[in-house]
Amino acid sequence: MEVNKLKEVKLFLGPQHPGMHGNYSVHMYVDGDIIKKARPMPGMLHRGFEKLMERKLWMSNMAIIPRICVIEPDINEMVYAMGVEALAGVEVPEKATWIRMMILEMARVATHLFALGGIGGPTGLYTSMYWAVAERDLILDLFEKLTGARVYHIFIVPGGVRKDLPEGFKTQLGTYLESLEKKLPEYQELLLKHPIIHTRSKDNILLPAEVVHELGVTGIGMRSATGKAYDLRKVKPYAFYDQVEFEVPTATYSDALTRIHLKFQEIQQSIRILKQIIEKMPDEGPVKAPIGTGNALKLRVPAGMVYTAVESTRGEYGYFIVSNGKEKPYRIAVRGASYPQGLLGIERYLPGHRIDDAPLWMDTMGVCSPEIDR
Amino acid sequence: MMNSMNNLKEQLKAHYKIAAFEEPTKMQLAFNVEPDKTLDVLAYLKSIGYGQLSLLTCIDWIEIEEFQLVYILFNWDNGIHLLVRTSIDRNNPKFRTIEHIYPGVKYYERDVHEFFGVEFEGNEDSYKHLFLELWEADCPLKKDFDPLEFSTNRYGNRKYETNFPRKVGGE
Repeated sequence: MEVNKLKEVKLFLGPQHPGMHGNYSVHMYVDGDIIKKARPMPGMLHRGFEKLMERKLWMSNMAIIPRICVIEPDINEMVYAMGVEALAGVEVPEKATWIRMMILEMARVATHLFALGGIGGPTGLYTSMYWAVAERDLILDLFEKLTGARVYHIFIVPGGVRKDLPEGFKTQLGTYLESLEKKLPEYQELLLKHPIIHTRSKDNILLPAEVVHELGVTGIGMRSATGKAYDLRKVKPYAFYDQVEFEVPTATYSDALTRIHLKFQEIQQSIRILKQIIEKMPDEGPVKAPIGTGNALKLRVPAGMVYTAVESTRGEYGYFIVSNGKEKPYRIAVRGASYPQGLLGIERYLPGHRIDDAPLWMDTMGVCSPEIDR
Repeated sequence: MMNSMNNLKEQLKAHYKIAAFEEPTKMQLAFNVEPDKTLDVLAYLKSIGYGQLSLLTCIDWIEIEEFQLVYILFNWDNGIHLLVRTSIDRNNPKFRTIEHIYPGVKYYERDVHEFFGVEFEGNEDSYKHLFLELWEADCPLKKDFDPLEFSTNRYGNRKYETNFPRKVGGE
């Protein structure tokens, strides 16, 4: 009897845990090293953004929205700007749209690199972490040159972008892309062909297509299981994604290794897109359209409601914006891309895995806690 | 693409007598549904390809004492977003769960319950706290909840000592 009582142990994964991504917590009930029951515990990073945004001006919201998703802040600026432009009926200048795409793709490469490096933590292959984080830092350097900030850029604003490109930026980006392309085979050797990664991730952490549809998983999770190019950049092109050539990597068998592979291929595709952007971006032209008249802080957006979405590294990321014609938004709801897998996914499909696979589960499924908590 | 949008409008008109549509932006359709028909409409939409529930959220229209529930659906094959809206009484906010149609809605319903106080009958976990552990005040996203007033009542007017270092080279 006493032995049975001790059989199930409650174990806390996070928020203070080296294997956990961000301030997130999972309560696991384990038997031996198998997880029997899992309860996601979000809220460690709840900052009340949705309430905060209702109490600030349309323009001053720009300062807080990038903080909703910490590792990939630019998608927030993009969906917010797209929403405000749709409500206000503003046309974005051509060059601004190209700059926006460039920022989004640079952010995608940086975030994928971070996620690939993050696999080093739970698997013990720390080299990949050092390499990938150092590589990401070079992109942050470029961001610093472009926007003045490394992490929260606040560069995409309603109506366009804040400023034109600094002198010689395209050349610097081109040089960097070439150096990254040369290094990619080394990453391939280190990550994708490494026996440690294979042992831990092959045929592990499966995500069948039925589960994808049940939970509503999007992004790499969905594409790796269904084999279809379900990418918002293709299905519903925003910006100029219909004017550049790229492929959406897919697969039909989704284990952790497949998803790592897809992340890697997406980096290659993003490099391809970035090169085309450098080529096609016009040298001259306005980068910001006037949105409203007079003081930008007194901006009023016409009444209405709209949902705008972009493809983030984890899937469909969207804002639902409601305006009643006043100086402040009436309601803004955030659709975090990792909501389905980060909450219901953990509750239903983390059980059955081993304890040491839980961090790997969080990493390869793409769980980002700040966008769940908001 | 435009065809599928028009087809959808006609089908919704024929089956559910929905006539008023808005197009907030391209490839997006918004319409209101009666509360008692909402589950039918959602089940029908899922059967014709709108398999993804992107978001369930709520808007507090305090002046007309209504909560508006918004179900945002997406069809990956034709790229159309649907905003299915329904209104419920703000003073007695009750609705039925759609967990049997879109299982992924479970945590969105908990979210809406926590922030707006809407009860979803049939969702067993919906009353549990999700983000706001040990929260005792009113639902925070309601329009009549004032966060400043709340924090003043709860924590008082705190005064912080400011002892900044002098400027370099200053007095």
